[in-house]
Amino acid sequence: MNEEQTWVSQAQQGDDEAFTKLVETYQTPVFNLCYRMLGEPELAEDAAQETFLRAYQHLHRYDEKRPFATWLLSIAAHYCIDKLRRRKFSMFSMDAEDDEGNSFEIPDVNAPNPEGESIKGQTQARVHAMLDGLDATDRAAIIMRYWYDYSEKEIAESLRLTVSAVKSRLHRARKEMAGVWQEEEDDLLAEMERRQHESPAF
Amino acid sequence: MNHQPFESWLLDDKYLSAAEKRELTSHLRDCRTCTALAETGLALRSAKVTSPAAGFTLRFQQRLAAQKVAERRRKLWGMIVLIVSGLGLLGWFAAPFVYAFIAAPVEWLTAAVGYFLFMFTSLQAFSEIIRVLLRMVPNFIPPYAWMVLLSSLGGLGLIWIVSIWRFARKPQGVTA
Repeated sequence: MNEEQTWVSQAQQGDDEAFTKLVETYQTPVFNLCYRMLGEPELAEDAAQETFLRAYQHLHRYDEKRPFATWLLSIAAHYCIDKLRRRKFSMFSMDAEDDEGNSFEIPDVNAPNPEGESIKGQTQARVHAMLDGLDATDRAAIIMRYWYDYSEKEIAESLRLTVSAVKSRLHRARKEMAGVWQEEEDDLLAEMERRQHESPAF
Repeated sequence: MNHQPFESWLLDDKYLSAAEKRELTSHLRDCRTCTALAETGLALRSAKVTSPAAGFTLRFQQRLAAQKVAERRRKLWGMIVLIVSGLGLLGWFAAPFVYAFIAAPVEWLTAAVGYFLFMFTSLQAFSEIIRVLLRMVPNFIPPYAWMVLLSSLGGLGLIWIVSIWRFARKPQGVTA
């Protein structure tokens, strides 16, 4: 039995210290998943805390055959999916549709700061913007795949989907993200051309 | 080669041989869709892992403690409401009898003594019947039937004990 299994076993018997060790170990992966899902640090903090509370309350349901991290991230993903769906619903119910009946996009909460931001930071912001446009479950699948290197089978188990559904969701999400990426590239190119034409040399 | 296999390679994150890599690089020069797919793949793989602000564990412990207190308070209030409503209901049902007892206590006491005497004599008669049956019935029942009966009773008792244990058992991990 490894250290983690010992902590889980002790926590299942009511040892809060052991559970605290699990929180210390998994706070970053859980927070990162929540942050990537929800896009705001405050919401991510709340979601991560809630994930650990739920894990604490339902520890007796944990199946020891599964890796603890997968179980924990599955709780976090489901919580965030639920949160995003509610947020989307409340946004739609609060705001009216336009004349043509088009729905609204979720605003980019992490828009890049143009001044003094590094290229890496810009890329991060673009990744965030791309994730923002995805369906909640697709977003969870993408995060599990690219941040945690989960296999399609592991994602399927975590999100209670079939492997083929995960595969098609990943493909769809990647295509959507590439579309957004391409549009942004086009905008950037157009902006650069505009600036060239506006420069004093012309 | 047409566009489709390259798109599949990129979407499936396929491990590419040197020759396949060359083919893909050549395709990316002409295909903007696949270029965008490759770039998003790279951006996703290079995305950093974000950590929570310092003191996350402490904040969790505080939240857990607050939740335990709230849970205890909710249970206490639930119990108080249950007891008060139970007593209220009991009082509502018992009020006519209490009123009648206060109005004529001697009649009530006589009725109560009569009731207890009836119960006592009935129990005596019942125990006498059981005693007689126990003396007579064993002669008619073969030993194997006794064994079946006792085993069944033992099994039922075991089921009863296990059921009580399962209902009374506190879920693991919940110490509130």
